[in-house]
Amino acid sequence: MTLYTKPLPRINDDTRPFWEGCRAHELRVQKCTACGHVRWPASIICPQCHSRKTTWITVAGTGTVYSFVVYHVAFHPAFRDDLPYVVAVVELTEGPRIFTNIVECSPEAVTCDMPVEVAWDDVTNEVTLPKFRPV
Amino acid sequence: MASMLMSLGHDEEAFGHFGATGSYALAARRAMHEFRTGPETWQHIAVGQRKWANLNPAAMMHDRTMTYDEYMNARWLVEPFRLFDNCLVSDGGRAYIVTTAERARDLKQPPVLIAGMGQKNPASYPESASYFAGPTGAKEAGDRAFRMAGITRDDIDACEIYDCFTYTVEITLQDYGFFAPGEGNNWFQNGTIEPGGRMPVNTSGGQLSEAYLMGMTPLTEGVMQLMGRCGARQLGPQTQTKEPVHILCSDNGGILQCNTTIVLRKA
Repeated sequence: MTLYTKPLPRINDDTRPFWEGCRAHELRVQKCTACGHVRWPASIICPQCHSRKTTWITVAGTGTVYSFVVYHVAFHPAFRDDLPYVVAVVELTEGPRIFTNIVECSPEAVTCDMPVEVAWDDVTNEVTLPKFRPV
Repeated sequence: MASMLMSLGHDEEAFGHFGATGSYALAARRAMHEFRTGPETWQHIAVGQRKWANLNPAAMMHDRTMTYDEYMNARWLVEPFRLFDNCLVSDGGRAYIVTTAERARDLKQPPVLIAGMGQKNPASYPESASYFAGPTGAKEAGDRAFRMAGITRDDIDACEIYDCFTYTVEITLQDYGFFAPGEGNNWFQNGTIEPGGRMPVNTSGGQLSEAYLMGMTPLTEGVMQLMGRCGARQLGPQTQTKEPVHILCSDNGGILQCNTTIVLRKA
């Protein structure tokens, strides 16, 4: 594997199950076992009912583009060759929203509410990024 | 500062998402999907504020005019934001003194009264935000500030709006109720916010064209206008605008995650 120079996620105790899931090509988010609210990003209490009772669930990996932007400037040099690239917030079918990239699609073709599915990108031996492509 | 902006969220930099421009652009893009807005609307904000800066010798952009073509031909930074949708990067200082109205009477400078304030912080992580396309905190913060001041929006003579990006000005004014969602394009037409306009906005040039001094840019301008210290850009007969009694000021933080609204009144 060639040297990967882009920033990597700073995995901590809150997010480790998510990144371990990605490595296994499974998209996992948190679910409150008190009220059933499915949430992302990870948090120690439920933003709906404030319960600390939390479990991790594996979601389908499908959703729609809630919003997206096209980067024309590389704020980090490792992204220079990717310009222009798309950063999006995808609303998962189960409800939560997640920061990601839209890939396998030209920036001009991306629209809000476009259906997408997860496209795994194994960037290092330890880290896999959940990107999304049009369905 | 750079490292602070770089670590605003969680792991989004792994996807090449950095700083405030990208996140406000996400908000603006969702707004473009939900109602009629976009560069055609924002050009009026960028160009209108620049005209105020051209009257302000302290403004970084005092000597540089801007046409609609120059706005539209500027390079993309993070689409849908072009260069002139972004605020300036500035070093500078501003100060105001807060005291009681009674003490202020004996001071050398004419005071300005804080007639009302409101705050609303719909904070959540940007990716789970429900306020990208409004209503932002400005809606409830504005209502509270108007109520405390005992006035309505119709009593406002000018606005000094936190303008980190052009879209921030539109969504804030929209949430204050100056126009319905998507009607901003029409509302801004024909120089509404410019010198000579019926609702002057960001009369120093704002953060887009004067200087980015965080929430101090709009607030101190509102105070100075009501003190009558604004020289060539002074609201009133010399800029063919209404002599101001009430000025509405806003500040917001995060990615539209909090809003403070202040109504200033001429003493």
